[in-house]
Amino acid sequence: MKVWAIIRREYIEKVRTKGFVLSTLLIPMLMSLMFIIPMLVDDMGGNDVRTVGVFDPSGEFVNQMRDVLELRGKDNYLLVETGADEGLTEGITDGTFDVAVSISPDYIESRKLKFYSGTVSSMVNMETLGPVMSRILSVQRQTNAGVSDSLQTYLLARPSWEHVSVNETGETSSANEESTFGIAITLIMILYMMILMYGQHTMMGVIEEKSSRIVEVVLSSVSSTQLMIGKIAGIGLAGLTQFSIWSLVLVWGSKRGIEISGFTLDGSFLTPTILVSFLVFFVLGFLLFATLYAGVGAMCNTPQEAQQFAVPLMLCNVIPMMLLSLVIMEPNSSIAVILSLIPLFSPILMFIRICMETPPLWQIGASWILMLASIWLALKTAGKLFRVGILMHGAAPSWKTLVKVLRQSD
Amino acid sequence: MNSLPILSVQSVSKSYGTIKAVSDISLDIPKASIYGFLGPNGAGKTTTIRSIMGILMYDSGKIMIDGQPLTRDQLDRVGYLPEERGLYRKMKCIDQLVFLAELKSVPRKVARKRAEEWLERLELSDWAEKKVDALSKGMQQKIQLAATFLPEPELVILDEPFSGLDPINIELLRNIILEERNKGCTVIFSTHILAEAEKICDSICLIEAGKKVLDGNLEKIRREYPLKTVKVIYHNEEKPPEELPGVESMELKDGVWKLAIDSDTDTDLLLDKLRKAGKVDLFSANRPSLEEIFLNEVHQLRQEFTA
Repeated sequence: MKVWAIIRREYIEKVRTKGFVLSTLLIPMLMSLMFIIPMLVDDMGGNDVRTVGVFDPSGEFVNQMRDVLELRGKDNYLLVETGADEGLTEGITDGTFDVAVSISPDYIESRKLKFYSGTVSSMVNMETLGPVMSRILSVQRQTNAGVSDSLQTYLLARPSWEHVSVNETGETSSANEESTFGIAITLIMILYMMILMYGQHTMMGVIEEKSSRIVEVVLSSVSSTQLMIGKIAGIGLAGLTQFSIWSLVLVWGSKRGIEISGFTLDGSFLTPTILVSFLVFFVLGFLLFATLYAGVGAMCNTPQEAQQFAVPLMLCNVIPMMLLSLVIMEPNSSIAVILSLIPLFSPILMFIRICMETPPLWQIGASWILMLASIWLALKTAGKLFRVGILMHGAAPSWKTLVKVLRQSD
Repeated sequence: MNSLPILSVQSVSKSYGTIKAVSDISLDIPKASIYGFLGPNGAGKTTTIRSIMGILMYDSGKIMIDGQPLTRDQLDRVGYLPEERGLYRKMKCIDQLVFLAELKSVPRKVARKRAEEWLERLELSDWAEKKVDALSKGMQQKIQLAATFLPEPELVILDEPFSGLDPINIELLRNIILEERNKGCTVIFSTHILAEAEKICDSICLIEAGKKVLDGNLEKIRREYPLKTVKVIYHNEEKPPEELPGVESMELKDGVWKLAIDSDTDTDLLLDKLRKAGKVDLFSANRPSLEEIFLNEVHQLRQEFTA
């Protein structure tokens, strides 16, 4: 009953703040910008004119390249012939060419083709030019071997791809890997931000109560444990509200398929399993971090002191983000399994594993159980810090007092 | 008033590490009375009060309300205004009052109605929807008072309620305390401002260094407290006789003679002797003021302690 009053107060006061309203509206916009801008950049970059230096002693190859490129709609590749091999390297260093290719005179027999590139971004060019050149080589060799034109057309036909993604219940859907990955990263960013932000909100809330001295009045009516639980629950519900709004925007946006310059967000990735585990990891992650942040808040008098003391906690927020690429590359490696089972890292690392490739159920279950156990432990620890710390004023806390408080028996 | 005390503190002790903040304090607070809890800084007043309010765990002893152990549920019957007062700065006044009342188990609707009444009574109705930030310090103090009395507690504990108040708010607080007492509420308050305590207290308790020095009905204490000084003014600036029985010393200040006397001096006899030296305009053998009692007791105790 009294805890409800605390929860309601925390919730209403939080939801009413300008910061809450603004972030609820602005974050989805920023998120979609994060999607759109790279796509736009890519799109525009894709149409830039690329100058390709070609050294072709035979003089036939370069013409065929022009034909195939035109056939494939890549009219932004400008082929410039040079008289010698050496001109190609120079051309790239002085910026005349983006990339260059050199065709060996006996290429049909030796199959020797050379590709020159300046920067890493030339990957795109290699991806485009490589298949074009392979095709020309194949055509030439088949012609030499006496294969008729019609048979060649038959033999060299390109596959008509369809990519089907299968989820854990066996349902299939056409997949767009790029957008799936984009959505997974967006979800991770939301999780990370929410857990960090709302954890810190809890800490600041405790400090505000302490510094405004309201806490003593409140503690004459409820126990410090009730206050702590009410506070965490209230702020958590505010977070959940924002979280739900964002998720709905994401689901709605992706289900409808936002068409921006020909790119469609693929919503089929957002299966109930993904959404439910997203929610569970947010709730568990928030509870774990918020409880610890509340304990830190109870020991400190000013936001400055708290920021200092919260550094180890903040590191625990950030570290999984730094390990993210490691887990993405090999989601089922033993190091990824171990990291994703560490309760402070689970919300990010176990969730990205679920997004990438569904891990064995026991691992997901184990991460949840481990997190629940940690929350229970955190509540006990923070409860102790709360009881002792919440009425302490004046002296800045030290690690020594922290340890002393934790060692005290109940 | 021989009814059961509303609050009974029985041999409560509390130490912080090696420092004894409160040792073996026992208090009986009569129902529907105003009880002054007096003592110098660091005497253990706040520790005792926090122990009663369940904010601190005391080491030993018992605290009873109406003959029942004072549990957390029972604390709903007790209002509390701590010395370090505060409010949620970003919250509207009315919401604040409702919230704090809810914490004392007052239903929301009732709390809202009473909050409106209190704001009216304190002439703050126009500020109900304003955030606490926008209020002056004096107004905030009024809101805190309203929050304390709004749940209609049977017992109210005010820790240093007069500190930081302007004279108008002091009068307001005094009136509220008296009104609530007349309605049957028991008010305990700790204070340094002895003149205020003297004006309104029915009973007092004086503590020093964590120990109770004296307690009981204020009038009875004063009546029974040994006289220490007598003031005399002569009509024609005469001098009192040299030899006076029971007078230890005397001094003249601004035409007033202050005579320090023994506790068992017969004041009637003294007046007779003084008259022999000339016409006496004023002879005052007033009961000692609370401040005199307070200072006397504290000094005595400290001397004993250092001796």
